[in-house]
Amino acid sequence: MGWRQVGEEGERDKMAASTAAGGTTPPVAAAPSGTSFSSPQSLGRVGSNKSGLLEKKSLGFKRLQRQLGASVDREQIRRWKDSAYQPCKGGNWKIDDKPVKIDKWDGSAVKNSLDDSAKKVLLEKYKYVENFGLIDGRLIICTISCFFAVVALIWDYLHPFPASKPVLALCVISYFIMMGILTIYTSYKEKSIFLVAHRKDPSGMDPDDVWQLSSSLKRFDDKYTLKLTFISGKTKQQREAEFTKSIAKFFDNSGMLVMEAYEPEISKLHDSLATERKTK
Amino acid sequence: MDIFGDLRRMNKRQLYYQILNFAMIVSSALMIWKGLIVATGSESPIVVVLSGSMEPAFHRGDLLFLTNFRKDPIRAGEIVVFKVEGRDIPIVHRVIKVHEKDNGNVKFLTKGDNNEVDDRGLYKEGQNWLEKKDVVGRARGFLPYIGMVTIIMNDYPKFKYALLAVMGAYVILKRES
Repeated sequence: MGWRQVGEEGERDKMAASTAAGGTTPPVAAAPSGTSFSSPQSLGRVGSNKSGLLEKKSLGFKRLQRQLGASVDREQIRRWKDSAYQPCKGGNWKIDDKPVKIDKWDGSAVKNSLDDSAKKVLLEKYKYVENFGLIDGRLIICTISCFFAVVALIWDYLHPFPASKPVLALCVISYFIMMGILTIYTSYKEKSIFLVAHRKDPSGMDPDDVWQLSSSLKRFDDKYTLKLTFISGKTKQQREAEFTKSIAKFFDNSGMLVMEAYEPEISKLHDSLATERKTK
Repeated sequence: MDIFGDLRRMNKRQLYYQILNFAMIVSSALMIWKGLIVATGSESPIVVVLSGSMEPAFHRGDLLFLTNFRKDPIRAGEIVVFKVEGRDIPIVHRVIKVHEKDNGNVKFLTKGDNNEVDDRGLYKEGQNWLEKKDVVGRARGFLPYIGMVTIIMNDYPKFKYALLAVMGAYVILKRES
């Protein structure tokens, strides 16, 4: 985490110095500035040779420029890099107070982090409403199972063993039946879906469209598959889109999720399903 | 400390699920134990041999599996686990003498294989015979050495609590996907 911040500070000073010295970059809000950005002179000045750190920083700008189009100027990118996550074009939104760092070798932490971020993109960027039905179902089944266990425990305590045999037998059998129900529920109904979100119909008349996110990441594998399913409220038909990418594309060396690489993937999935809907 | 990081980032449902997860593990263990109790008919279906009084058959630290079906007759030569009235630690010894009436009442005497004398010294004051109600179960099978863990945990209870605390903390703090 250290090198990034240091690079940024140094970067800002360097840029301030270059503008003060009457450099090539025009003032903040004004210029559409394809020119100032791509001028080799400014890039060369930023890429300092004192430490490899600042050189890496200029690569970051170049990459972003390629990704977002040359119409974005340096000042905008600097503002973006100040905030925790990158805003989408035309808007400003923050996901978290600070980016989350996880152990990159821990498969389940990686998957959780990716799932959470995908959830947040869908909920915050597109303003969908999360539906907790699936999760609540699972919680209820687990709670009922624990209830049976507690009943068995208390009954056996109050009426020691031979007397409590029928009640115990009943509770044990019910508990294992609930376990079976839970297994069937998680395998067939939940199916690795971690988000169900509704898009409220603006007119309020038609039923909501439902978006479902599910993902998978095999043990010790680096290929993460994210699947987005769209179920139209009106026609009840289902469309899905998915991508499978290596997790190395989304995490940097220190284990932080790089939203600027991840968020466009999700938006791409979403838009591919959304536009299909419009053409139909 | 980053172990709480995961917990802090969870919403109410996920937190409840973590707690439920822990409760489910405890409940599963409890239900398997109660299930064994019901299936074998014995109030303590798995016991650990604590003393060397049954050598060379059983040594200290062996695990014993018991059943206690009412219909099974008690015969001389069988190994039974019984509790003397007034004491809570069960004893594993062999039946050496049996007196049985037609209506099914049984009186029997036990002795440890490695002991010089029979168990009358261990029984209650004035009691010379044991009855079916004192029996916890009959030994049906055994696993050598496994019970040493239980003996260590009983001798050093702090170790047991520390182990349980660490396992509990791990389940609650680690987030499942």
